[in-house]
Amino acid sequence: MNYYILHYNSNALYQKGARAILNTNSTKPIYVQIAEWIESEILNNHFQANQKVYSQYQLAEMYTINPATAAKGLNLLVDENILFKKRGLGMFVTDEAKEIILNKRKNQTLKRLVQELVLEAKRLQMNKQELIEMIQEANDEEVGP
Amino acid sequence: MNVIECKDLEKLYFRKRVLNNLSFSIEENKITGLIGRNGAGKTTLLKIIAGYIKETNGDINVFSERPFNSLNVSVNSIFVDDHMSFPPALQLGEILEEAGRFYPNWNAKLAKRLFDYFRFDEKGYHNRLSKGKTSTFNMIIGLASRCPLTIFDEPTTGMDEAVRKDFYRALLKDYIAYPRTIIISSHHVNEIEDLLEDVLLIHDGKKLLHLPIGELKEWAIAIKGDSETVVKFIEGKEVLYKNEVGVNTMYVVVKQDSPGSLKEKAHLAGVEVVSVPSSDLFVYLTTDAKGGIDDVFKNN
Repeated sequence: MNYYILHYNSNALYQKGARAILNTNSTKPIYVQIAEWIESEILNNHFQANQKVYSQYQLAEMYTINPATAAKGLNLLVDENILFKKRGLGMFVTDEAKEIILNKRKNQTLKRLVQELVLEAKRLQMNKQELIEMIQEANDEEVGP
Repeated sequence: MNVIECKDLEKLYFRKRVLNNLSFSIEENKITGLIGRNGAGKTTLLKIIAGYIKETNGDINVFSERPFNSLNVSVNSIFVDDHMSFPPALQLGEILEEAGRFYPNWNAKLAKRLFDYFRFDEKGYHNRLSKGKTSTFNMIIGLASRCPLTIFDEPTTGMDEAVRKDFYRALLKDYIAYPRTIIISSHHVNEIEDLLEDVLLIHDGKKLLHLPIGELKEWAIAIKGDSETVVKFIEGKEVLYKNEVGVNTMYVVVKQDSPGSLKEKAHLAGVEVVSVPSSDLFVYLTTDAKGGIDDVFKNN
């Protein structure tokens, strides 16, 4: 009986950890979140080029989600050339994966953030010069001049 | 392959029409969530699929035959709810043993492990279990039977939070190990949505939506902002819910014609885009009065 109690607790912890990454309330569908998580794992060098990534069933179990949802996330990355399929073996990281992800995040995510930044500045009635100075200041603090 | 095919299905209880022109099909080895308000016809539909009751009009085919009086359907399917009846003379341990003779794919090891994990007593009796324990026991039968068509009708009635979570995980793990067609009806949409592949929403016996769960999040979005901008923005769009917050802020849920189409536009128009939790979306879709419960109190 003790075994089961231990098993139960470890499961609960595991789920909690996974939950911290997936956000059910986000506007992003779960499969997009799965894809983004794998992208981050590639950027963090947890997966190298030509290395095998998790299968849809492993992902489904890790996050308690439907395997079809997990597969949709993986296929999204295949479409973007970040992963490639080896028949019967699974999904692997492409050579260009990291570069593609970096480019995508720069051109899409960062661009959108900047757009929001500009809109918010407009709402606060800041002028262009003030905004640019603020960005420069932040950059000096975080990265150095 | 479609496990369930139903066309223009109708069911009348005396003079009341419970199912109304229902047509849909469910593919093999998918987990489908059947969602609907109280009295929408969920249980009636599931019982017709399982062959417990007869349809009044229309066609229903399960494994390519009419389920009522079909031995083929009854051996390949299981209907799990909190009214499952077992021989009162048998002890729980004996029920598990006997269930093994009914279901060809029965997994005795899984049944026993779940039985011990949830701390059941082999010498106990089914009719002496508490509400939550009854549901838990029935769920064990439902999972261990590994029927090609497994139907759970409100499986979590009375279960506490921990058991519900365990159940969802057990269901998913066993589904991965042994894929089969599963239908779950539940009121706790947010709890089951991650498990589902498809959603079937019915209201007043009619089908409202039947689509992959991934598309549901894109199906509608909510926008929030100052009333004037929002009103201008939602012009010509299908509004599902509208609520004014404070003096000059409006929260509106609108249908999105194509995925992502409104999100960008909303950003540029300066209104905030918020996600609509699936459970809220279902409530909006199935509430006739657009102001909700507040309408009841309005004229008094």
